[in-house]
Amino acid sequence: MKRKEVTRWLALGLAAVMSTTILAGCGNTDDSSKGGDDAKGDGGQVLKVAAFEGGYGAELWSEVAKAFEETHEGVTVELQVDKKIEDKITPAMKSGDYPDVIHCATGRDAGLTETITKEKGLTCLDDVLDMTVPGEEVTVREKILPGFLDTLGTMPYNDGKTYYAPMFYSPCGLFYNAGLLKEKGWEVPKTWDEMWELGDKAKAEGISLFTYPHAGYFDAFIYATLESSGGAEFYNECMTYKDGIWESPEATAVFETIGKLAQYVEPTTLGNANEESFTKNQQLILDNKAIFCPNGTWLPGEMADAPRAEGFEWGFTAVPAVSDSQKPSSFTFFEQMWIPAEGKNQDLAKEWIAFMYSDKAADIFAKSNAIQPIVGISEKLTGDNKMFYSVYDNDAAVPVMGGFASTNPVEGVSMNDTLFRAVDSIVSGDKTVADWQKSVEEASDKLREAME
Amino acid sequence: MKHRKGRNGFIAVCVLPAVILFIIFMIVPTINVFKMSLYKWGGFSNNKTFVGLNNFKILFEDPKFYRSFQNSVLLIVMVTIITMVFSLVFAAILSREKIKGQNFFRIIFYIPNILSVVVISAIFSAIYDPSQGLLNSILSIFRGAKADPILWLGNQKLVIYSLVIAMVWQAIGYYMVMYMASMSSVPESLYESANLEGAGRIHQFFNITLPLIWTNIRTTLTFFIISTINLSFLFVKAMTGGKPDGASEVFLSYMYGQAYTNSSYGYGMAIGVIVFLFSFGLAGLVNLATKREPLEF
Repeated sequence: MKRKEVTRWLALGLAAVMSTTILAGCGNTDDSSKGGDDAKGDGGQVLKVAAFEGGYGAELWSEVAKAFEETHEGVTVELQVDKKIEDKITPAMKSGDYPDVIHCATGRDAGLTETITKEKGLTCLDDVLDMTVPGEEVTVREKILPGFLDTLGTMPYNDGKTYYAPMFYSPCGLFYNAGLLKEKGWEVPKTWDEMWELGDKAKAEGISLFTYPHAGYFDAFIYATLESSGGAEFYNECMTYKDGIWESPEATAVFETIGKLAQYVEPTTLGNANEESFTKNQQLILDNKAIFCPNGTWLPGEMADAPRAEGFEWGFTAVPAVSDSQKPSSFTFFEQMWIPAEGKNQDLAKEWIAFMYSDKAADIFAKSNAIQPIVGISEKLTGDNKMFYSVYDNDAAVPVMGGFASTNPVEGVSMNDTLFRAVDSIVSGDKTVADWQKSVEEASDKLREAME
Repeated sequence: MKHRKGRNGFIAVCVLPAVILFIIFMIVPTINVFKMSLYKWGGFSNNKTFVGLNNFKILFEDPKFYRSFQNSVLLIVMVTIITMVFSLVFAAILSREKIKGQNFFRIIFYIPNILSVVVISAIFSAIYDPSQGLLNSILSIFRGAKADPILWLGNQKLVIYSLVIAMVWQAIGYYMVMYMASMSSVPESLYESANLEGAGRIHQFFNITLPLIWTNIRTTLTFFIISTINLSFLFVKAMTGGKPDGASEVFLSYMYGQAYTNSSYGYGMAIGVIVFLFSFGLAGLVNLATKREPLEF
């Protein structure tokens, strides 16, 4: 009897301990993170930077953080770099603990940058542009390459105010095997008519004209064709959802060009056109099974270890113009860095962004092939990069920048689905070009209503 | 009397931790999902607008939601039926028949279940590869080498069945082990007397084995519904990403796309509410439809 009593009390005690530790466990995390904020504070400041680890790797961030700490005495940079940075920082952000600076581009699956933009949670960066680059004499505005600051890619609300700092730019266009074209004696097509001609010639030899990694890569491609169909003003009207713009003759020409291009797509492309297998489509270029593939300058790095046909040599060209009166164009992809309005260290965060455009930082980035859009960067380029980044030289191609304007979220409607992802259906023949065009105009109507 | 009171107190203290955890991590979030579904909210700011049932109104007019819903239902039905048939047959063979290497097969069948979904996706992406994949290579023996490749993950009509195959492959072992466990508890004497009466193996399976493991089958039906809903999201995320053009989207992947990629958190939660009610309802319905008087043995 007595022994039973003892065990009972023991069990009771253990249960009590268990429940208290569980509850304590829940509460504890808050305390320790709060403590962490001030812990390193003694006199100095802590800057919390969260950065997306892309194809350029993670090392460039730790190096640039070290350089920032060296030039800014008493500052400690708390760096968080991850391939899925959104997953790492959102739980803390939801409970009010924001990083001071976030480097995370638009167009990613988790949509963090878009969501914060739509929620009006960004700090305006206009005063950063007027700051002097740390350690230099010029202002940030003067240092950034012309054109980069007047796009929807940096002014998401189309109101003349800059909210995103442009980082790591990369021209997008068509990649091909220059060795193959040389060997066959084929010219790189300058117009779409020449393109179709080449497509027929190649087909006779069992080579397809076109492949694409997956439908998501059509964003840059469609942006470029829109610009080269109707010019800059037309492009801007498309991006701001002007009524009827997607049914205009200029837009129709774009839809029809892609509709025709769909007939030249390599037959196995669709089977691999997803996030898991898209590199197999890129491999088609290296194996001489397809000629052109839309992509960005990160492609050669991504395929660096892949086997390739003999005499393979990277070639890169802008997308041919849809309209005879326009020039070929190439979409300039760039990543974005921004300051969340809820971040605590706004001033230091601005200082950090200004530092991103210093020669010191740009040199560190360039070592990892991440190219900053700053004046004089072209002299720092080496190897294949020289060829890729010269696509705009001598007015050969028009740079296109910035995507769709930000709207309030519209449930169930996005241009990503309706305009880009639908390309798969055009290629497989599940949707007609006319239906596609109609659905894009409908989506555009709904998004226009959600603009402010 | 006093003894009972003490015992009740003891039980209460023992279950308290579990109850607290259950409330914090299950009840509260579920209530939150229901609450959020009534707001228009991006997920971060304090800028929440109460919109009543508007999210549901949009949902019922959203063709993309219907398509993802259809895909989910198709997956639940196909995966459940095919997996159940295969795992019952395998379980019956492995537990009733004397074959060489029984344990070996048991392990082989179970292995897919311990692989992560990402690994399985990579395996099946290789099998489905249009030009070098296992499936097309085998089929080319019959179709001729020049035939157009079948795009298992690129054809909008095929892609969902390609997912079914991968999910069935993954699930068979788990359910097989569950069925084997209950089959082994069926008394041998029943089979012996059936043998004496001259009943064949198939007859025995339908008249002895199946009725006697019925309670177990009912339980697994609920498992099937829940795990297919959950796993289909992982498979879609890892293998197709909803491509081509949303043809392989299931409702959880559509919910993710809306809540995060499309910044409509409230709308995503409305989808969550529908998924919640649907899976509860379906599990209840299946439970009701399969209710039988339990057989004693």
